[in-house]
Amino acid sequence: MEDLIVLKNLRKVYKMGDEKIVALNDINLNIARREFICLIGTSGSGKSTLLNMMAGLEKPTKGEIIINNLHIEKMSEKDVTKFRQLNIGFVFQSYNLISTLSAMENVSLGLTFKGVPKSKRDKMAKKMLENVGLGNRLHHKPQELSGGQQQRVSIARAFVDNPKIVFADEPTGNLDTKTSFEVMDLITGMARENSQTLIIVTHDTEIADYANRVVYLRDGSIERIHQNEIVRGGKSR
Amino acid sequence: MTSIDLIRMGIKNLWRRKLRTFLTVLGVIIGTTSIIVMLSLGFGLSQSFENQIAQWGSLTTINVYPKWQDPSMPAGQKVNLDDKAVSAFKLIPNVSAVSPIVETYGAIINGRYVAQVPIRGIDPDVMEEFGFEIVEGRLLESSDELTVVFGGGIKQNFYDPNARIWREVKVDLMKDRMSLTLNPNYGYDVPGPNTPTYKEYKIKTAGVLNEENWDTSYAAYMPLHEVQKLIKEKEKAENIKPQPGQAKDQYQQINIKVNKIDNVQEVQQTIKDMGHEAYSLNDQLESMKNTAKIIQAVLGGIGAVSLLVAAIGITNTMVMSIYERTKEIGVMKVIGASLKDIRSLFLFESALIGLLGGILGVAFSFLISFIVNKFSGSFGNYFGLGPEAKLSIIPIWLVFAAMAFSALIGILSGYYPARRAMNLSALDAIRSE
Repeated sequence: MEDLIVLKNLRKVYKMGDEKIVALNDINLNIARREFICLIGTSGSGKSTLLNMMAGLEKPTKGEIIINNLHIEKMSEKDVTKFRQLNIGFVFQSYNLISTLSAMENVSLGLTFKGVPKSKRDKMAKKMLENVGLGNRLHHKPQELSGGQQQRVSIARAFVDNPKIVFADEPTGNLDTKTSFEVMDLITGMARENSQTLIIVTHDTEIADYANRVVYLRDGSIERIHQNEIVRGGKSR
Repeated sequence: MTSIDLIRMGIKNLWRRKLRTFLTVLGVIIGTTSIIVMLSLGFGLSQSFENQIAQWGSLTTINVYPKWQDPSMPAGQKVNLDDKAVSAFKLIPNVSAVSPIVETYGAIINGRYVAQVPIRGIDPDVMEEFGFEIVEGRLLESSDELTVVFGGGIKQNFYDPNARIWREVKVDLMKDRMSLTLNPNYGYDVPGPNTPTYKEYKIKTAGVLNEENWDTSYAAYMPLHEVQKLIKEKEKAENIKPQPGQAKDQYQQINIKVNKIDNVQEVQQTIKDMGHEAYSLNDQLESMKNTAKIIQAVLGGIGAVSLLVAAIGITNTMVMSIYERTKEIGVMKVIGASLKDIRSLFLFESALIGLLGGILGVAFSFLISFIVNKFSGSFGNYFGLGPEAKLSIIPIWLVFAAMAFSALIGILSGYYPARRAMNLSALDAIRSE
């Protein structure tokens, strides 16, 4: 399979006063198109930093990030923003919905910045919310929705423009077990349907069962990579 | 992001904090209003000065007088105010009319009433151009002989020299038969051996000028050549011979009409450069206008302080708004808002606050201006500006300038907050709670 994401000798050092904290050390990883990757590790293992770097939210201290043959680490903030707009969807642990906007407005916000006309983006947002099972909650504000529902809105927002890659940072971190599995089924199902690459950060080993490969991180280094023979939720494949 | 989405989103953001937006806008309203009202007072003052001076005479007339010259100067170098000068003045650009003025004093006799008036000779062809306004009859014509156009105020000058008590004088300048004499002491007995005998001329009235213009209201006008003739006859009667030093055919005064008020200064300077003395009411208007400008600047400065405070208010509101919306800005950045989108959004919001304040401020200013003018009658009298004087005038350009300026103030005040929002790290913003 062709490699969509290539990480070479990635290193990230944070400076805190005089102290240097090595968050990532010499990471090498290739991720193929349509692959589901799970980054797993304890807190402080550097998994979130790695995710943020792949999404262009943080710059590495050293090393290369090549996505779709483009060097992300060399791009200006303007170009990274453009790149993100075109290629990347994001799901957060704390949903990060805008509280003053309705579910539909939240989903269509990214399309707004892209310059999609209102009638078209409303249609897309509505369809997406129906897909995540919130067809009857279109005009609810985030605070009127449960945690699971909010995360579904967030997923709808990430997938609405059919991005090439979807990053999910602890998407189930704030949810109970049952809802967690529902949300995971939803994310993986949609990614599979649209042939998207999915990268999930979690510390939950059960969530890792959904991935093709599980990358175990420890103290900023890749400890091991585990290939899942049977993928959970894969029955819909 | 399309402009329509930007506008929609900006308005929505302002609307969701109605009270704060309103208070910030209120600040701008007060700032704009105070500047506009203060400036309008300056314009009103300037306008009343102009009206006042216009009453003294025409603002586009230049009076040229002979300059004092050393008598020992050779005749060839002297600058003479003669017919040659008149033709030279006519050639100056923007000059619309030139007339020499010959002036003498005389008495108008109307039955038992007498009025002492200046008698001015003027070129009848240019009277209209010089702005003489007739209320009765007609202006002078060059063929007129012993025909007079009276200033409207002259009827108040008649009196009965033999009356013991004052009685109301009733004269009709148009219809009464009158005669004119250049006897400076008419009606009085002057002791002395050989008093000259002056002629009395029967005169016809051509017309009466309006009373508004103080310059023309108290004089009698006759064609130039007629007055020159009268003066010659007077000198003959008085047995005065022309002084040897004085050149012949010199005028005491030449009046020049300029086509536009803006050109007066330039024409006046040209004439001064030719070696004559030249005055116009414009000189006084300039200095009065400068006074008005200084007053206006001081008033405007006071107004500007409150707009400055309002501008700080906008900045404060926008900075507060960024603190509140930090997370939102982060989310927007992550899901694809460009730096330009973020900056535009915040600049638009602050510009809208400014513009809204500007528009409402203009409306409010008109209200205040109206109230000020309503009560300015008494103020006007107090300042000697006349009862109709408007104390506050808002020119139409000021309306648009004020709106544009307040929007600009909004943009400037929003610039720092917008930059700040733009430069927020998306990651830090998202993590903030």
